[in-house]
Formats: sequence, structure tokens, C-alpha cells
Amino acid sequence: MLALDRVTKRFGGLTAVKDVSLTATPAEIVGIIGPNGAGKTTLFNVISGFLVPDAGRVLLDGRDVTGMPAHRISILGLTRTFQLVKPFGHLSVLDNIMIGALTRLGSVAAARDEARRVATLCGMDAFGETAANTLPIGLRKRLEVARALATRPRLLLLDEVMSGLNPAELSEMLALLGRLHADGIGLIVIEHIMAAMMRLAERIVVLHHGEQIAQGRPEEIARDPKVIDAYLGEEFVLADA
Amino acid sequence: MRRQALAVVFFGAAAAAPLVVRDAYFLDSLILILMWGATSAAWNLAGGYAGQVSLGHSAFFGIGAYAAALLATRYDQSPWLGMLVGAVVATLAGLVIGYLSNRLKGPYFALATIAFSQVLLILASRWRAFTSGSEGIPVPFRPGFATLGFTSKTAWVYLTWALAMALFLAERYLEVSRTGYRLAGVREDEDAAEALGIPTRRLKVAAIALSAALTSVCGTLWAQYVGFVDPFYVFSVDLSVKFSLSAIIGGLGTAMGPFVGSLLITTLETYLRATFSGIHGSLVGIYLVIYGALLIVLVRFLPQGFVGWLAERARGHRHARA
Repeated sequence: MLALDRVTKRFGGLTAVKDVSLTATPAEIVGIIGPNGAGKTTLFNVISGFLVPDAGRVLLDGRDVTGMPAHRISILGLTRTFQLVKPFGHLSVLDNIMIGALTRLGSVAAARDEARRVATLCGMDAFGETAANTLPIGLRKRLEVARALATRPRLLLLDEVMSGLNPAELSEMLALLGRLHADGIGLIVIEHIMAAMMRLAERIVVLHHGEQIAQGRPEEIARDPKVIDAYLGEEFVLADA
Repeated sequence: MRRQALAVVFFGAAAAAPLVVRDAYFLDSLILILMWGATSAAWNLAGGYAGQVSLGHSAFFGIGAYAAALLATRYDQSPWLGMLVGAVVATLAGLVIGYLSNRLKGPYFALATIAFSQVLLILASRWRAFTSGSEGIPVPFRPGFATLGFTSKTAWVYLTWALAMALFLAERYLEVSRTGYRLAGVREDEDAAEALGIPTRRLKVAAIALSAALTSVCGTLWAQYVGFVDPFYVFSVDLSVKFSLSAIIGGLGTAMGPFVGSLLITTLETYLRATFSGIHGSLVGIYLVIYGALLIVLVRFLPQGFVGWLAERARGHRHARA
């Protein structure tokens, strides 16, 4: 459904993303890993329409969406979340989710029902009336997912929605993502928490200095010498063994 | 509920006042409260609901005032036509300003709007052949509804009341509409709104253009009421600040906020001016100092505005009960 064709993005002299090609379908969970500054978030910005690549194309259902405004890409079924969460701070949790739902729904009443349903799915019904800017970080991350989910995406781009969560929140988030996957929503996940990534992703793409240095099943990635060298380090391999 | 009660009391009292009070000074104050409240409500569409704080809305107000005055004096047209022409011109100007809002954020946008209103001031005050320049234009008084000429203050109270009420109801409706919620998303976080499929740029431009058109309508009415258009007044930064301050003090992005703000500011200004200036004159200007100090205190302690504060308290009560 999503295909990147040799995408490159430069900022001045820095090439943040270089010649990256990848595909993702609603049937799978794709993980993107790499050290800080590897270009993961830049790649998300390019895919979701927040940045225009300097070279290469982004295809959605075979259609070239390179340079299309972000809101139109979301309407086409690809919605992203933000690593630095961006809640509608003064609005309630339910209103936050409802604004996402209004992208597909014409009536406020229908969107409110949909928001309640999504809030329940994400385990947020107890916080429906809470102002978003008073939520702790774990719930803000969950709101970020809930709001994106309310746009009924076929493909969700999740930018570090698991970092900063405590172990209980982490397993809830993993369970939620598993449910979304079972519902047929494709997930592209940026994450630093390798344990979570190994459990969740069916395929992992490794970026380093903007380049894709490896791609494959989690077990393969964990053994790949290039990946160990660039990102995981020896300790990870020893701990895993 | 509290917000509704506030609106019922405000508009009810404003409608009933002319039946009871005949004092011209009082009615004039009431007309100004409604007029500035309506203008501030028009500003609120862009500055409050869409979060695009403009400090140049006097540009649109002046466009409305000049459109009617020029059409009446130069082409002998009805001020209603002037109102329409002003609204169309202001919409076009609003589209330009709206486009700027997509390039400039926050204080940069506000500065650009100030510059825009000052360009119009220079144009209006220097183009002597067409606008009569800095002398301004006396608006001809022609009695009758078709020419917006009323000697009765009561008629003006109801005219401005109808305008104020229409704007209040429109904003009330906006708050619970699909567009209103999406606009709230744009105001709270543009990137997040865009990511959720909201055409943020288009919505902002539309809100600013509509705000401009409505501000222009207020300008036309004001010119007809006062009977004189002075470029240094209608295009002034003071006036732009007045529109925004009423909304900020009353409650940004609330339907009732601009009217509460206008009530507070217009009353305060009138009262202080009457008390501290005048013939004796030793304290001329002191009212501005007091006025400014009170505004600082209000903004410091009620940053969410009066209506915003009431709404927050109401929410608090609901939680306490739940």
C-alpha cells in the first residue's frame, strides 16, 4: 500500500535521509530503528507530507503523493503521530479524539460516539472529560494514538509511542497495537525499546546516518553484524543470547 | 449553563434598557458597548477561534467605514450597498492577510497586520483627491432605514443589538459545529490538526476572511452612527487593540467573551475619562494610566478571560459533584 522509492531529504549540507526505499502494507507491522539522528523522524515527516523530499517518490496505493499536503495524505488513509506529543491541550480527551473522528464523519454527534468507542478501545474512557494538558506522559502518548486512530487510518505511523512508558503502560500499549494489527491496520513503528520492538515488529528496517543499512525479520536484524556495530552494540547480543 | 445565563442577562438587559431609560448619554454608552462588542466578536473569529491574533483589524473596520462614506458622498449610494462593498473588499484584504498567516506565526503575524492597517491609513490620509485625505469624510445624514439614518438612539440600540446578537449566535453555533471543533484543533496545534486530516491553511484563511468581512460591516454601521470618518481613528492601532483586548479580557474563543470584555472596557474607559479629565485638566491622561494598570491586573489574574474563568469554575464544580 505504501511504497518509498529512493527517497532523499537534505537539510543544507546534511543528508538526513538518503536513498531509502521501503514498502508497508496494512497486513504487517514494520519497525524502524536506528541511533538518534539516523533520520527516522525525518523519514516519517516525508511520508506523512510534512516535508517534501529532495529526490525520490512516496507512493500510496500506487499513487504518487510526494509533496501532497499532510492533511490530504491523512484523508487517503495514512495518519502519523508525533514523537513530541502534540495534544490539543486545552480541550478534553474526548474532544481531542472527536476532532480526529470528524475527518471522516460529517456530524458532531456521530463523531462523539466514535470518539467514545475509540477512547474505550484505547483504555481512556475514565479520562474523557480531562483536559489533555493535565494528562501524564503515558496517557498523552496513548491519546496521540487514539486521536490518530479516530481518523480510521489504514496505515498508522507511530513515532516513539512507547518511550517514557512504565512497564504496565508499555504492555497495555503493546496489547493495543496488537489489537489494531488484528483489525487490519498497518503499523510503521519507530522505537528505541528493542525488547518491545522484537516482540511487535514482523519486519525491521535499520537506518544509520540516513541510510538503510539492513532490513529483515527481527531475529535476523538482531544477529546482523552491521546493525550490532551501528546501533545495538555487543551487550545486546550477549544479553539476548 | 452559566454562560447561557450570562448571555440572557446581557442581551435581555440591553434590549430592555431603552424601554426604561431615556438618558441619551446612557443609551450612547449602550450602543458603543454593543458596537465594540460586535466588532470584537468579529475579531474573535480570527483571533480567538482560529488563534490568529491580529493587531490590525482596524484595517477592515476602516474599509467598511470608508466604503459606505465614499459611496454615499461620491456616488450617492445607500450605506447598505456600502456595507456590501466594504464586506467584499475586506474579504479580499482578509484573504491576503490570511495568506500571510500561513507564512508568519504569532508575533510576526500580529506585526504584519499592524503594518497592513498602517498602509491603509497612509493611503486614506494621503489620497486627497478621492478620500479627502486627513480631513476625513462627514457622512451625509439621510433619514430612513434605506439610508441608515436614525435620529433615535433607541433605533441604534436595537440595530447594534441585532448585529451583536447575530454574531453571538453565530459563534455559539460555530462552537458546537464540525468546523468549530476542527478550528479549535488548528488553534491548539496546527501540526497535529494537519496530521489528522484537517486542511489547516484553508480553515485559517476562511476564518480570517470572514472575520474581516464582519469587522467591515461593523465599521460601516459605526460610520453611519457617528456621522464622520476620520482616517487616523478608523485605521488606528488603538482601535485594533481595543477589538482584541475586549475579546482577550472577556475570554478568547468564547461567544460571550467579546461582549463581557466590551462591557468592562467601554464602561471603564468612559467612566475614567469622565472622572479624571475635563475642564480642570490637571489629571488629563491619568485615566490612561489607571486603565492600563487595570488591564494588566486583569490579564495577569484572569489569563483565560472572564468567560473562560467562569467556564473553568463550572467544569470544576461538575467534577467535584461527580
